[in-house]
Amino acid sequence: MRLSFYPGCSLEGMANDYARSIDTVFRDLGIDLVEIEDWSCCGATAAHSLSQTMSVVLPARNLAVAEKMGLDIVSPCAMCFNRLRFSQNMIRKKVFDIPWHVTGELRVHDMTRFMAEPSMIKSIKKRVLKPLNGLRVVCYYGCQMVRPPKITGYTDYENPQTLDRIIATTGAQVIDWSYKSTCCGASIGIARREIQESLTRRILQKAQQAGAEAIVVSCPLCQSNLDIIQKDRSDRCTPVFYFTELLRLSFMESGASKLFKMHFADPVSLLKAKRLL
Amino acid sequence: MQNIISGLNQAHEHVPGKKRKLIGDRGDFFLNRMQGETGVNISACYQCERCTNACPVSHFMDIKPHQAIRYVQLGWREDLLKSSTIWICLSCEMCTTYCPNEVDVAEIIHHLRNMAVHSSITPKEKSLAVFHQTFLEVLRKSGRINELRLMNAYYLKPDILHERIKNNILKEDLLLGMALLRKGRLKLFTPKFRAIKEIKKAYSQTRGEIV
Ligand code: SF4
Ligand code: SF4
Repeated sequence: MRLSFYPGCSLEGMANDYARSIDTVFRDLGIDLVEIEDWSCCGATAAHSLSQTMSVVLPARNLAVAEKMGLDIVSPCAMCFNRLRFSQNMIRKKVFDIPWHVTGELRVHDMTRFMAEPSMIKSIKKRVLKPLNGLRVVCYYGCQMVRPPKITGYTDYENPQTLDRIIATTGAQVIDWSYKSTCCGASIGIARREIQESLTRRILQKAQQAGAEAIVVSCPLCQSNLDIIQKDRSDRCTPVFYFTELLRLSFMESGASKLFKMHFADPVSLLKAKRLL
Repeated sequence: MQNIISGLNQAHEHVPGKKRKLIGDRGDFFLNRMQGETGVNISACYQCERCTNACPVSHFMDIKPHQAIRYVQLGWREDLLKSSTIWICLSCEMCTTYCPNEVDVAEIIHHLRNMAVHSSITPKEKSLAVFHQTFLEVLRKSGRINELRLMNAYYLKPDILHERIKNNILKEDLLLGMALLRKGRLKLFTPKFRAIKEIKKAYSQTRGEIV
């Protein structure tokens, strides 16, 4: 299977460990990811905030290139996924002039939903070498991947299941909780840190109260918010994994602690205690 | 008359005795304009406050989301553009998702933000507004966002550095930056990027420049 891959800016910088784990996992699953040639930023919240036209035009550039390649897009970042879908929606309404030839007919997959399809779950199950037994986690989805449902296409936006299903396949114990899609504060932390920290801290607390030893996410911004807030904490820390990191771990005979060196909330001791490293 | 819309004044600085704010001869002009530009049926709002209850940051806002919708209906444009609401909003889309009348509250707030930057009104949350602006500038220059470059550009904006020193967050930021660097989470160089020409052109087109 071949798909075009739109990594997004975070995967080159803050989340380059996510990018590497995606590479490994998709190679192991035998899916060919072709990076969209010469892709550019989707504009994120800033474009949407300051210029509606740019918020349609910027993602459209990448859609146009992918359409030329003729491959459906898969996007690991929740924000990029949301923006690409939004742009497609607007392109189909034909109220903006797009400087490139683009129809908006490609399918844009969010990576978790793509991996949670029954056929993929089956092939993941086949690949698991070392089940992550005994690891108790909660899955955190954030906003942009599930909302607004009209754009993302999630019907279970109140209690999404994609990550839960994927992680359950690796043998980890997935705990149900109520804060799956509560906002983590997103990029407001750069200008108004206290707002972001109050939101992020609440999610962290609720995860711990639910009995989780780790949080599983798929959004680079959620990961850095939840991770960085724990940077000065040495006692009860709750590591924040990208779901592909756990998949990669379960695909390996024995993991290596250097794979997790980009984390602030250190996962190594937890994984060692569970005999997973 | 006094009581009909009195609930709105919790956040709005209406002082008794002062002349009550009226819709004036602007009539429905602003409402119609907003509805036309966003494609949202704003008149459908019946003030159930579900949007505000769903909003994770409504307590940091001066005009609550449901009030913002009412203000649009009343044509109180300047109050909206001056508010902190339009900058505090996180675009988390809770309001839009839970509105029983399909009023796309988040989109309306975005649109007000759009209007605010194209008006002469100084944004109430300047640091947030400047951040968005810096983001777009960096994007225009390099086509992709590099976190380090973004933060540098942000600090070089007038008043931002000063404000950060005053609020004592500069040291924290520097420490965080160092920690991120050590962890290898910052990219130091952006590779030369070929599509930049197209992006620059798109930018100038949206500003109405012809070449
Ligand atoms: S949820 Fe919808 S109808 Fe209710 S107050 Fe908000 S915008 Fe109005
Ligand atoms: S999109 Fe904005 S106004 Fe709506 S719930 Fe989220 S933060 Fe509140």
